Amino acid sequence: MRRRRVDPAAGARAGALPEAIAALSRSLPSGPSPEIFRRAKFDRPEATSALWQLLFRVLSPLPAGNALASIALEVQARLVKSALCSQGYPRLALAQLPEDGSKGSRELLLALSWLLARGPVPEQMLAQTRVPLGDEMTVCQCEALASLGPPAPHLEAEGPVDVRHVQWLMGKLRFRWRQLVSSQQEQCALLSKIHLYTRGCHSDQNLGHLSVTEAEMLRDPEGGQKLHFSCTPGMGPRTFWNDLWLVPRLLPGDWAAPLDPGGASACSLLSPLRVVEVFALLVACLGGQVGCSPWHQPFPAPTPPTDLPVLIFCDHGPACLCSAPPQLLRTLEHESRRLEAVLAWRRAEPVFWQWMDTVLGTCAPEAPAAASQPTFLPWVPECGDGELELVARELQTLEEELREAVERRRVAWEAKARGCGRGPEWSAARRASRETVEKELGALQRCWEQDSGPAPAHGPHRLVRREDGAAGDRDLRAAELIRTLRSQEACLEAVLRQLQGQCRQELAGLAGALPGLIWIPPPGR
Amino acid sequence: MSVVTVQLGQCGNQIGFEVFDALLSDSHSSQGLCCKRENEAYQASCKERFFSEEENGVPIARAVLVDMEPKVINQTLSKAAQSGRWKYGQHACFCQKQGSGNNWAYGYSVHGPRHEESIMDLIRKEVEKCDSFSGFFIIMSMAGGTGSGIGAFVTQNLQDQYSNSLKMNQIIWPYGTGEVIVQNYNSILTLSHLYRSSDALLVHENDAVHKICAKLMNIKQISFSDINQVLAHQLGSVFQPTYSAESSFHYRRNPLGDLMEHLVPHPEFKMLSIRNVPHMSENSLAYSTFTWAGLLKHLRQMLISNAKMEEGIDWHVRPPLSGLPSLGKMSLNKDLHFNTSIANLVILRGKDVQSADVEGFKDPALYTSWLEPVNAFNVWKTQRAFSKYEKSAVLVSNSQFLVKPLDMIVGKAWNMFASKAYIHQYTKFGIEEEDFLDSFTSLEQVVASYCNL
Repeated sequence: MRRRRVDPAAGARAGALPEAIAALSRSLPSGPSPEIFRRAKFDRPEATSALWQLLFRVLSPLPAGNALASIALEVQARLVKSALCSQGYPRLALAQLPEDGSKGSRELLLALSWLLARGPVPEQMLAQTRVPLGDEMTVCQCEALASLGPPAPHLEAEGPVDVRHVQWLMGKLRFRWRQLVSSQQEQCALLSKIHLYTRGCHSDQNLGHLSVTEAEMLRDPEGGQKLHFSCTPGMGPRTFWNDLWLVPRLLPGDWAAPLDPGGASACSLLSPLRVVEVFALLVACLGGQVGCSPWHQPFPAPTPPTDLPVLIFCDHGPACLCSAPPQLLRTLEHESRRLEAVLAWRRAEPVFWQWMDTVLGTCAPEAPAAASQPTFLPWVPECGDGELELVARELQTLEEELREAVERRRVAWEAKARGCGRGPEWSAARRASRETVEKELGALQRCWEQDSGPAPAHGPHRLVRREDGAAGDRDLRAAELIRTLRSQEACLEAVLRQLQGQCRQELAGLAGALPGLIWIPPPGR
Repeated sequence: MSVVTVQLGQCGNQIGFEVFDALLSDSHSSQGLCCKRENEAYQASCKERFFSEEENGVPIARAVLVDMEPKVINQTLSKAAQSGRWKYGQHACFCQKQGSGNNWAYGYSVHGPRHEESIMDLIRKEVEKCDSFSGFFIIMSMAGGTGSGIGAFVTQNLQDQYSNSLKMNQIIWPYGTGEVIVQNYNSILTLSHLYRSSDALLVHENDAVHKICAKLMNIKQISFSDINQVLAHQLGSVFQPTYSAESSFHYRRNPLGDLMEHLVPHPEFKMLSIRNVPHMSENSLAYSTFTWAGLLKHLRQMLISNAKMEEGIDWHVRPPLSGLPSLGKMSLNKDLHFNTSIANLVILRGKDVQSADVEGFKDPALYTSWLEPVNAFNVWKTQRAFSKYEKSAVLVSNSQFLVKPLDMIVGKAWNMFASKAYIHQYTKFGIEEEDFLDSFTSLEQVVASYCNL
């Protein structure tokens, strides 16, 4: 097991170790208390179940939810074991631990530190649970396929099922689908409006406009329960700015005092960065009126002057936002605390690794695990140069064989073709066969393009509206995505039509088999 | 979410006006029996759905008016403007100088394609004005020339261009003893085309509404305006805002979508009809009190016995016993004139609405065997009263209500077709005999599907 290089001089103070472990547990979601860690060093049984759960949480690919909480400890333990093994965890002792949480806390502690050494675990966990401030959507289809929900209860039909009932249910599904499309169109129209009206309001020049969450935070800071925009019928630019106008009433009127961002007077509930950002938007939206009562001013222009300070002072007055933090702010606070914990953890890390060395020292030395590999370890074939050459030679021979076969076929066809006449049927047949070949080639090409096209990046993307069309390297352009999706849609529709045609032929065949049966197709498509 | 109304022909335009008027005057009514905040939410919801805002605050109906003659459209526009409370958009109408002469084929094959671009352009502009667009509400007659021919053509176009939007066609079933001699041809052509391109066909029968005016409203000289007002009342009580769930305090965002999902998901069963209780003249209203139990009992019996209105309900019709095998059930139904439902939606509005008991509608005997009451029946309740009625209940039903009238029209049209009467007027404009045969086939299929419930 790899040991991390540590600086022995660092963190030699007493009390540095509990701080480091406390920072670690704060930076992990549902991290156990430092006491658990201490007990695990001495392989105490009471620390075992907490560590199984922590490892499960770290290794689980799905985001946290109620579903995860309800999984039994044995199942969690088994999943942890298989996940660690598939990542190549070398210690056999873990695989042999009982799954009921009765012993093995020291092994689990070693496994946790192995994971921490391999990659930035707290940062990855933080990224998983971050609060999305932008309007996001995913481009790939992985999440949609993964989150298919619980399997529908398998109902045994009592007796024959009436096909009309099935048709009824299909029809309901179709209506729901159409309503979903309408709702999405509505959402897009609203997003477009918000992005358009808040042009020039964002402190980040790259983004340029507010997202729904940001606009909602400004519009309704005391409510703010929902992270998603609720549709106000008939909302137009006038109502939007009217609502925004009401926000300054909640803040203290004296804005003349210059702001001290790092000082004690800054709003302590939000991290300074967030406060500045949020209120910078406000100042920008109100045209930078600092120090006078803004609500007597005429209607502001949406584009703010650029030479104004972006500082706000909040002194926890009676009407202050901070006194009743709504849901979103609470979540942001929580995130900030975790971020601070991660930073503290990185600073105190060397102390932790020194301590882990002592933990490893208390373990019995393990026999080298070369000979007996557990059967569920993934097998990685060792490819040497010799093998590659073999493969290359095989490919070459295949290519030659293919060339010979094509040549033989061509010669045979030409001989055949020369023998055919030149009549009109022959040219018609030729045209027909050419068309089928073109169609087949086109289908092959489409499939090839589908497979070899660059896969769009996974995960959510923030929606940003830009007038000039300038996009960064890692940005995706909507027009290209739309084109890709349209071509995929065309392919799928072609496949659907083909399958429907096949179905129709089958049914017609079945119907034709019964004499006296008249085939009436259903109305519409 | 907003609904765009397309008013087609004389019928569609006159009814459309009454509907918008009824919706707006109800939303401004002071007798809503609810608190001010709720009333404001109700108004806002109604307005967002059917009207758009303008500078000076006068709501503009989200509507496109189409007719081949200018007279009715001009009347409609001026009536709306005169009311002062709302109006139609200035450029929301399309009309020509000549009519269609009740020729369906002329409307479908000549007027339609000729004016397709202009009409679809108007519709597109109206749709673009909506922040969130739910679907189309197309009002037309079934048996005329302009409304029905162009209506069928426009609905088909909407199906092609707005395939994800919902489409509900409000169609007026002609009088049995109508004046237009080819009305049965027009009707079957309209119905068969609409069945393919529309999602739901909400049917109002002229005969039924006429009887309501005569018997319930006690109107001596019944004009089209009276009939249209009754229609508008029924439609208004369906489309005004309702709560989205039992204990929710938000008005439903997409009533059109919810209604369609509950009632017409099956492609063979698209015909809906409306029954409402109570319905009376304003004078009688002041002297009447209602209980939910009484109203719902009447409504249920109207559903079961296929009654068109509260008066003259046949109380002898009872749901069949559940123990019988399905074949026996069918013949028994035919004898007793029992109306089997596929799905029902009951909307209750008014005082003490939470105490209303709708268990009677959840009886499995009312419904077809392949759909259980828990899926087939839905109820929407709202505290806010509708249009001066302290309590009102409306039933939108997908059931065998229209089987007999449809069968009759198909029968009459077939008899005419068998002797090739007046066919040349259709073939002249591109509607061939095959098209007629296709229409007959699809409508026979619809009748058979509904009969086999």
